[in-house]
Amino acid sequence: MQPVKWLVEFVDVRLGLKDLYDRELRGYLLPRNVNVWYTLGAVLMALFTLQIITGILLLMFYVPDSEKAFASIQYIMNDVPFGWLFRMLHAIGANVIMIALLMHMLSVLFMASYKGRREFTWLTGFIILNLTMGLCLTGYLLPWSQLSFWATTVATDAAGAIPVVGDYLVEFLRGAPTVGNQTLGRFFALHVVGMPLVLLGLMGAHLFCVKRRGISSPPFGPDYRASEELPFFEHEKHPNGIPFFPNYFVKDAAVICFFMAFMLAIIFYAPGMFFPESAFQKADPFVTPQHIKPEWYFLWAYQALKIFPSEIIGLGVQVVFMTFLALLPFIDRGAERRPAKRPLFVTCYVLGILLFVAISIWGHYS
Amino acid sequence: MTTQVPPKQRRNFLFTMLAGFGALLAAAAGWPLFRFLSPIAATGGSQVAIPRSEVVSGKAHFFDYHGKPAVVLQPAAGKFVALSAVCTHLGCVVAWKEQASEFECPCHGGRFSPEGQVLGGPPPKPLESIAVVLDGDQLKIG
Repeated sequence: MQPVKWLVEFVDVRLGLKDLYDRELRGYLLPRNVNVWYTLGAVLMALFTLQIITGILLLMFYVPDSEKAFASIQYIMNDVPFGWLFRMLHAIGANVIMIALLMHMLSVLFMASYKGRREFTWLTGFIILNLTMGLCLTGYLLPWSQLSFWATTVATDAAGAIPVVGDYLVEFLRGAPTVGNQTLGRFFALHVVGMPLVLLGLMGAHLFCVKRRGISSPPFGPDYRASEELPFFEHEKHPNGIPFFPNYFVKDAAVICFFMAFMLAIIFYAPGMFFPESAFQKADPFVTPQHIKPEWYFLWAYQALKIFPSEIIGLGVQVVFMTFLALLPFIDRGAERRPAKRPLFVTCYVLGILLFVAISIWGHYS
Repeated sequence: MTTQVPPKQRRNFLFTMLAGFGALLAAAAGWPLFRFLSPIAATGGSQVAIPRSEVVSGKAHFFDYHGKPAVVLQPAAGKFVALSAVCTHLGCVVAWKEQASEFECPCHGGRFSPEGQVLGGPPPKPLESIAVVLDGDQLKIG
């Protein structure tokens, strides 16, 4: 043990790590009644880290060329040792991230954690959600399968509903009149460099907001306090709380393990869950497969475009809804956070989730 | 009746269990990663076929032999020699000097005979020889 102690001391007198550990981990106190939903931020960080690692590994074999992309994915899946595992972790991990992101957002909404001068925290989180959907969309094209090609064709075509600039915008997104090598090049660059860089910056900003303002208390039990909106900055402290490390860290680790197990269970027992037949056929720009559908988290938007008499109305409704959601902390100004005392909000919340699920199922079977 | 375990002993036990579990987990994640990053074994074993007409007497024909550069030449009519084209000094690819009828390494001036023997310079050993047989109008190498 002596050499280890010596090494710890050697580093500590130079960098003051013990002080940092005492202040930022043991001394970082969370509310005593903090619940499992608060772990979703840590779960998402773990899942995004896994995406970065598996993404770097896939880059070693993937070729971003419309003639070679599909073959390179086949090579990764069939010939590279454990290539299937890293590719599946990346592809299925994207779906699990979307599940965790939606759960995170829904829990924040239900507990009204965006209240109490936490608008920036909410906004950065909301942009992360949208950027992640962008990462999913750009990553979806890269395997250059029939599914990739036609889902991207449909998704980019939706921009054509915008008056005046629609047609130009579609061509601008694709880099050409139709989806092709130009589209693959720009989607690849955005997916592996542009968007991840912005995402890392946003995650840093989101964590900064959470840490600087102080974590909110769950609005349940005798410890409940209404959100205060003071005219000056105040860091919300929890003097009688539990330390982040080791107490809360253990809970974070347990839920991360649960999500990893969930993801591995899909990979090993239901690997085809997110891969229809068209995902295993090379893209053919002259043959559109039947029943091409976007990923499950875009189904609501896909169906919304179809149920209105014109695409522009469908697109407009989506824009209005997303803008409302983004600006919710600026609109919902009441101090009350307990769900039982917010019947109107909870009714809209439950109906909203049911509507999302119903439209998605409709979109899937339409 | 309950037996009290001293806190230090309990902590050491938990720490050992945690370290063991962590090591197992690291190994479970590390093995696929190691295999993924390891060079993929050549599908080799199979022979490389080159048309006899491409190997002109007095000239050298360079080709890919299971992912490595190799060369086949016809030093005398009907006699074929196949060699690895990788210099045994520091791994550069040798060049054929038709006038001198010898191989020369452009990196440090190593010289090899048409049979791959060292004629001069720093190479410590001859070029690796590869079996070659004439089968009809095809040269089967390997």
